[in-house]
Amino acid sequence: MSDQADKAPREKPRWREDFPVRWAQERYVSRRELAKFLTLGSALLATAGGVIAAIGNRGRREPKAPEVRVADASSVPVGGSALFRYPTSEDPCILVRGQDGSLRAFSQVCTHLSCAVVYQPARDELFCPCHHGVFSARDGRPLAGPPVRRLPMIQVEQRGDDVVAIGIGSDDS
Amino acid sequence: MTAICAFIAMLLGIQIWLVSAALEALLSHDRAVLIPAALASLGLFAINGGLLWTALRYDAGQRMAAS
Repeated sequence: MSDQADKAPREKPRWREDFPVRWAQERYVSRRELAKFLTLGSALLATAGGVIAAIGNRGRREPKAPEVRVADASSVPVGGSALFRYPTSEDPCILVRGQDGSLRAFSQVCTHLSCAVVYQPARDELFCPCHHGVFSARDGRPLAGPPVRRLPMIQVEQRGDDVVAIGIGSDDS
Repeated sequence: MTAICAFIAMLLGIQIWLVSAALEALLSHDRAVLIPAALASLGLFAINGGLLWTALRYDAGQRMAAS
């Protein structure tokens, strides 16, 4: 008698007591509502793209780069390098003297993920230690590794013993 | 409607990729791609909006015909 009572199905399964589903509070989402929601997300993403473009182009209206004395020419021997900041104190640059004795300067910020590049005089290259990117120390073009864009060149002039930065070369220079 | 939902979701995926690529370009100081990416994202939103509008308009037409 007691066995039959144990095997009799309960009116309410145990799981329903533990995990009650309140159907009255459930809400049916139609495909139209889903499409509206997705389109709203699309609008937000388009806005985000516009904001990113606005932030990126905010600095384009900067005044012409000033002339700044960046180093003593005599302090940079053949195969040597010197660091300076141009055109602002937040823009690290590197001045190198190649084996031919000419002075060249580049932005020190790797165009891959913004690590600082260092000069390798033996190969006349600028090397990024983060991801092993290599740039030519002649014109800044990428030679190896992940970077695909050249390093911006800084135009420098030697006036007596002073090395003066006079502008920033374009990406295509 | 299901097909339109799927198409909008697919375009949304492309927009997410565009925004992440634009953010990466911004962080690596590659300004050249920012405006094209923003315009492409805007274009995809226009397509999405057009699809939604078409679907809702079709839906309204069907309801009016039924009533």
